Amino acid sequence: MSDEKQQVSRRQFLNYTLTGVGGFMAAGLLISPVRMAIDPVLKSNDGGDFANVGLEVSEITSDPQRVDWTIDQVDGWYESEVNRSAWVYRNENDEIVAFSPVCKHLGCVVSWEGNDDYPEQYYCPCHDGRYYKNGVNVPGTPPLQPLDVYEQEERDGMLFLGNIKPHEEA
Amino acid sequence: MHKGKGMKFVGDSRITADRTSKVPKDYSEYPGRTEAFWPNFLLKEWLAGAVFLVGFLCLVLAHPSPLEGMADPTDAAYIPLPDWYFLFLYELLKYQFASGDWTILGIIVIPGLAFGGLLIAPFLDNGPGRRPRQRPIAVGMMLLALASVIWLTYSSAAHVDWEERAEQNKPIPPGESVVDQNHPGFAAYESSCLGCHGGELEGGAGPTLVGTEHSKEEIMDIAVNGIGAMPADQFQGSDEELEQLADFIIETSEAAAEQE
Amino acid sequence: MLQKIYDWIDDRIDITPIWRDIADHEVPEHVNPAHHFSAFVYCFGGLTFFVVVIQILSGMFLTMYYVPDIENAWQSVYYLQTEVAHGQIVRGMHHWGASVVVVMLLLHTLRVFFQGAYKKPRELNWMVGVLIFFVMLGLGFTGYLLPWDNKAYFATQVGLEIAEQVPFIGEALKTLLAGDATIVGAQTLTRFFAIHVFFLPGALFALLAIHFILIRRQGISGPL
Repeated sequence: MSDEKQQVSRRQFLNYTLTGVGGFMAAGLLISPVRMAIDPVLKSNDGGDFANVGLEVSEITSDPQRVDWTIDQVDGWYESEVNRSAWVYRNENDEIVAFSPVCKHLGCVVSWEGNDDYPEQYYCPCHDGRYYKNGVNVPGTPPLQPLDVYEQEERDGMLFLGNIKPHEEA
Repeated sequence: MHKGKGMKFVGDSRITADRTSKVPKDYSEYPGRTEAFWPNFLLKEWLAGAVFLVGFLCLVLAHPSPLEGMADPTDAAYIPLPDWYFLFLYELLKYQFASGDWTILGIIVIPGLAFGGLLIAPFLDNGPGRRPRQRPIAVGMMLLALASVIWLTYSSAAHVDWEERAEQNKPIPPGESVVDQNHPGFAAYESSCLGCHGGELEGGAGPTLVGTEHSKEEIMDIAVNGIGAMPADQFQGSDEELEQLADFIIETSEAAAEQE
Repeated sequence: MLQKIYDWIDDRIDITPIWRDIADHEVPEHVNPAHHFSAFVYCFGGLTFFVVVIQILSGMFLTMYYVPDIENAWQSVYYLQTEVAHGQIVRGMHHWGASVVVVMLLLHTLRVFFQGAYKKPRELNWMVGVLIFFVMLGLGFTGYLLPWDNKAYFATQVGLEIAEQVPFIGEALKTLLAGDATIVGAQTLTRFFAIHVFFLPGALFALLAIHFILIRRQGISGPL
């Protein structure tokens, strides 16, 4: 009878309330832990600092040269010095370009004229990947993208390099 | 229904061979109306849980979890204290009958009897009556144990100035140390003063030197002749070193006071 | 849709009796605070379990930032407290939860004791409960060391000194706990971490499972 119907709806009502209260408890319990867990995702990466790489701008020629420097890396509670390197040269428009030496194929390290068979090119020894002088990958070799470039700045005649970003032209 | 060995199952499952009717457990022995666990009773439990959670989160927000300075095994001035629920054991070991030659009594016999008794309480208190009045010995012993634990905890905690303790052991933020270890006076400070006045001038056995009101000349005098409870001849070295030491203390003290 | 999934599973492994074990049973009036307010004392056990759930969850999340190593433990806790959003709250939940769980456990134990609810046939469940109490105290003791601050270090040292005074096996016991006969250091911290995060919680889960199964088997004790 209608009595029975009422019983069902009352049970359903209780079930909804139970879900609500359970949801409230779960939310109260989890909101802080989850916010803490996803904190690294939400932390803004504010550009990063430029580091002096110890190379005078006047010394940069149209021939790529390798520079090595170290940066202070803060990884959470752990601070350490990390080695970085770049290939720096002046392009035909007299602009300074600093390439990251990390091959876009599988992450090996490329070097300028690293193979005698390929002069005037960057060469990756792992899978014979090659790039032209302007960083663009040679078609037909394994890499599919040009080399990444460093953000760069000139201060007091010295070269400062910052974050790595993708090669724009090409 | 058969019990134990007489029970027959289908194959190796836990389904019984003889079909049993699913009659709910008989609560007729208890007076009053019963209520379904799901959802009626559980809802009430969870409402209580939600209220409890709100209270708990208020506690958490109102009192940030404490963290003292990084463990320094050479810190001789530190007075250790266990978490509050171990204070009663800690205090027990201060009594004469529970320390020295009687340590075994304090660390094994007394706690062993208490916790062992708790563990086998149902067998010690095995009469049929459940009301506290029907089992005066068990209830009496429990009240006695409870009273002594509360008393021990209280007498242990009452002497501690918790706020001062927290203040003294505040963590020093890493990388924000104001102490310049390359200062010419640091070596003298390290060998003569650090033991009592702390690595950051924060104090310890002696008072803090942060924001000291003494002048450079006074500090040089105190380091040699002492002041108040501080004995004389703490510093032994050349006059030049003494001057560097005073410079170091004043500069660091000012830097630290500025930081705060 | 849900009903279909349920039926499909039920058809194969017969989950309805499991559901019945967990949820589909009657609760007597004398434990229901809605009928007699004094029945709130029956809530203590459930609330203890609730705090245990808080401890497990907050603990799981805390290990995302914690390293059990004497160089980095304090640094990572300090970083968590000062740099990570809500880190202080999560650590606060774990810190205060540890105290609250002991309080609730004590209240629950006293309720069961003064009502004589541990009498036949519930002796076994009482003993399991007391073992849970011991495991909780062990979790409190081992967890105290983990932040590696002064309080943690010196309290643990005292605890280990006490263990050393146990006759015959004292020194072996201390070395077993500390990982080294004389030093309270790197090996102590990793041991306490392992005990706090794996061994004792494992024991706790097993004991809690037995505790709850026995409650369902035997039902709630009758009114006085």
